[in-house]
Amino acid sequence: MGRHAFQRLLMAIPVLLGVVLVGFLLMQVVPSDPAVVRAGPSATPDVVAAIRRDMGLDEPLYQQFGIYLWRLLHGDLGVSIINNVPVMQELGNTVGPTLELMFASLIWAIPLGIALGTAGAYWRGTVVDRIITAIAVAGGSIPVFFLGLLLIWYVGFKLQLLPFTGRAGPLWTSEGLQAIALPAIALGGTFIGPVARMTRTAVLDVLGVDHVRTARAKGLGEFRVVTRHALRNALIPVVTLIGLQIGFLLGGAVVTETVFSWPGVGRLAVGAILSADFPMAQGTIIVLSLGFIIINLVVDVLYAALDPRMRTG
Amino acid sequence: MMKRFWGAALLAASALLPAGQALAQAAPRDTLVILREIDADRYDPARSAATAAGDALFLMADTLVSMDWDQRTIRPGLAERWEVSPDGKTYTFHLRRDVKFCDGKPMTAKDVAYSITRWADPATRSPVRYRAGVVESVTAVDDYTVEYKLKEPYSELLNQLTQYFASIVDQATVEKLGDNFGVQGFNGTGPYCWASWTPRQELVMTRHEGYNWGPPIFQNPSPQIGRIVMRVIPEANTRIAAIQSGQGDVLGGGYLPAFAIEGLKRVPTVRMQQQPIYFYDIFFGFRVDKPVASDPAIRRAANLAVNKDAITRAAYFGTAAPATEMINPAAQDADAEAGRMIPRYNPDEAKKVLDAAGWAMGPDGVRVKDGQRASLLVYALQQQINNTMLQAMQADLRRVGIELRIQLWDATVGWGKLATQEFDAFTISYPYVSATDALSLYFASGNRPTPNRMNWNDPETDALLAAAKTATDPAARAEAIGKLQRRLADANVWIPMIRTPMWLATSTRVEGARPHGIYGVSVYKGLDIRLTR
Repeated sequence: MGRHAFQRLLMAIPVLLGVVLVGFLLMQVVPSDPAVVRAGPSATPDVVAAIRRDMGLDEPLYQQFGIYLWRLLHGDLGVSIINNVPVMQELGNTVGPTLELMFASLIWAIPLGIALGTAGAYWRGTVVDRIITAIAVAGGSIPVFFLGLLLIWYVGFKLQLLPFTGRAGPLWTSEGLQAIALPAIALGGTFIGPVARMTRTAVLDVLGVDHVRTARAKGLGEFRVVTRHALRNALIPVVTLIGLQIGFLLGGAVVTETVFSWPGVGRLAVGAILSADFPMAQGTIIVLSLGFIIINLVVDVLYAALDPRMRTG
Repeated sequence: MMKRFWGAALLAASALLPAGQALAQAAPRDTLVILREIDADRYDPARSAATAAGDALFLMADTLVSMDWDQRTIRPGLAERWEVSPDGKTYTFHLRRDVKFCDGKPMTAKDVAYSITRWADPATRSPVRYRAGVVESVTAVDDYTVEYKLKEPYSELLNQLTQYFASIVDQATVEKLGDNFGVQGFNGTGPYCWASWTPRQELVMTRHEGYNWGPPIFQNPSPQIGRIVMRVIPEANTRIAAIQSGQGDVLGGGYLPAFAIEGLKRVPTVRMQQQPIYFYDIFFGFRVDKPVASDPAIRRAANLAVNKDAITRAAYFGTAAPATEMINPAAQDADAEAGRMIPRYNPDEAKKVLDAAGWAMGPDGVRVKDGQRASLLVYALQQQINNTMLQAMQADLRRVGIELRIQLWDATVGWGKLATQEFDAFTISYPYVSATDALSLYFASGNRPTPNRMNWNDPETDALLAAAKTATDPAARAEAIGKLQRRLADANVWIPMIRTPMWLATSTRVEGARPHGIYGVSVYKGLDIRLTR
C-alpha cells in the first residue's frame, strides 16, 4: 500500500514539471506583450521599450525559463509584474478562500448526491426516481455561471436573503457563513448530478446481490439494508467519481469565484490572465494543477485502499 | 451518522437565514460601497494611466487645480491662485496653507515640486509623462509658492494639472515604499486616506480627518462619509444585482453596462443621473498609409455610408449619442466648421464618391480598383460594444461595396496587436479634456505607430499641433487647433462614432452624488456624497 502511494507520488513529479513548462510556454505563445499592457494604450514606443527592459522581457526565452525554474525550486514564484506583490503572497491569500468554497460546496453536495442516488435506486421506476433523475440531469447540465446568476437574482436580489458580493470573513463566523452560502450552493449544485447518477447505478447493482437478500431475509429494516449493506458496497465507484469531480470542481471554482467575486485562486487566475500578469498567471496555473494532481493522487491511493486489486506491484 | 449530518445542516441553515436577511439588504453604516469591474495595477499617480487608478486617486490625493462640471473651467485646488508669465513658460502657483497629508504632515511647495518632477522624470516611466509638458524645472520658491518652468509654452498645462497623474504625494512615503508606493501604502492630501488594498478585490479608504480644502465646485469642502470600500465585481450581472439590492451604493461610468441603463432608470431602489458633458468617445480610425485606406475616397465614402444613429441606438440602447464631429462641441476649442465637415449619413452619396474615384462594383459586391479590392481589415478589442458596432458598420459598408473584415482581440492581446502594422483600420475609445489634448495624442507624427495608429504623418499637422500647444493666447490656440480639425475632417482620417455616456447609479441611501466624468471617473472627489442610513 505504502509502495503504491510512493510510486504514485513519484509519477506526479514529471507531471508537475510538465505543467510548469506548458504553463510557461503558454504564456509565451499568447500574442500579448505585458509591457504594452502595463504601459497603457496611450504610451509611446520608447516608454514601452523601457518598461520591457525593466521587466526582463528582452532576455532569451530559455534564459527566462531557466531563471523561472531556479526560482521555483527555491519556492519563489516571482512577483506580479502588475503590482510587485509576491506571487506566493497572493496565492497564500487566495488558496484559503478557494479551499473554503470547495469544502462548503462538498459538505452538502456529496451527502445530498448520495442520498438522492440511493433513493432513486431504491424507488427505481417510480415518480420519485424520475424526479431525482431530472434533478440529477439538470444539476449536471446547468452551467455553474448560470446557476450562480439565478441564485444571485432570486435568492440574493429578489428575496434579499443572502449576500453575493464576495467573502465577508472566515467560514466559522456568521458573516462568513452567509457570504459563502450562495457560491457554495452554485458550485455544489453542479456536483450533485454526477454523484447521484453514479450512486443510483451502483446501488442498483448491489441491491440485487446475495448479501442484500440475506440481510432482508434476516429481517433487517429497509433503511438499514440500504444504508449499511447496499450503499457501503456501492461506494467504491462513487468515491472514484467524487475524487475526479473534485478536480473538475477547481475549474467550476474559477467561474463561481468570478460570478460571486469570491477572492480565491480561480478569480486570481482570471484576473492575472486578463491583465497579462505572467508570473501570477503561471503561479495560479501551478497551484490549480498541483491541486488537481494531489486530488488524483489521493483518489488513487484511496481507491487502492478500498479495492486491493488496484494496487500495483 | 447521516442523522447527525442532517441535524447539523438544519442547524446551520436556521442560523443562516434570519441574519442573512439583514446583511443582504444593505451595505454597512457610514461605509460607501463603490462597485467596479476591474482594479488598477497600482495606485501611484505617476505610474498608472488606468481609469481604475483615477477612481481612487482623485479621492486619496489632490491636484494643484481642479476641473469644474463643465469640463473646461479650471478651478482652484491645492493652489488658491496662479499666474502665468507673458511668454507662457512660467506658471507660479500659490498654495493653500492649511493642507495636510493623511499622516498629519503639512503639505508644502516642496511636496508639489517633488511630485511633479517625479511625474515628468523619464526614469519614473510614466506612460503619460508627455502630459506634464516639456518641463525645465518645478521648484519651491518658498513653502507655499511653486514655480513651474517650461522649455516651451504649453497651453494644455492647467487642463493636465487637473488630472490624477498630477496628484501631489508625500516624498517620504514614496521613498520609503519605493516600487511599492501605491501598492502597499499611499500618503496624499485627498479627502480619503488609504486604509488597505487587496488587489483585484477591494480598496478601503477612511475619511481624512480635518480635510476641508476640497475644490469649490462641491457644496461641502469636507468628506461626509467615514469609510469608502471600492469593491471589484467583474461580472456585470452581479454588479447590477448588487446595486439594486443595496449591497453596493455606487456604480458608474464604464462599470455600468450600457444594456442596464434603461432598466435601472425604472428600478425604485436605484437613482440614476447623467453627466451630459462628458468626453469619452469611440472612433474608427483608418491607417492612412495602407493600400485601400490610403484612398481619401474610401475614407469619405465610409464616413457617408455608416449610419451612426442606428449603430449608437443598437450598441447603447438609446442611452448614448452618435459622434457627429471629431471633437465633442462642448469641449474646449471644438471647431464648429470642422464638425460640419464630417459627412452625414448618405449611402447614395457614398456610392457616387466611390464611382467617381474609379472604384467599380465587383461580382461579389465588393468594389475593385486597379486590381485592389475595397476590403479593410479592422482590429479592435473584444468588447460587446465593438462587436455590435463593427457588425453594423460591416453591413452598412457592404451596401456601398466596401468589405470590412473584423478581427476582435482580447484586451490582453489587443493593445499589442493595435501597436502592429497588420491592420487597415481600428476602433478604440478614449477620454480627453480639450481638442488640443485629443489631437496631440493621436495625430503627432512622433507618436506613430501608437498611439498614432493611423500612421498619420503630416508636417502641417505637427506644425499646427505645436502652434496650439505653445500658444499663449487662447484665441491663437483655438485658431491653430481649429485649422487642424478642419484639415483632419477634410481628410476623413476617422469616422467619429459614439459619444459614450456617463451615468451614475446610486442606491437610495446615497444623497448628494453627482457624476463628474474627468478622465472617465464618475465620483471625482465625492465630497457631497452622504448616506442617509
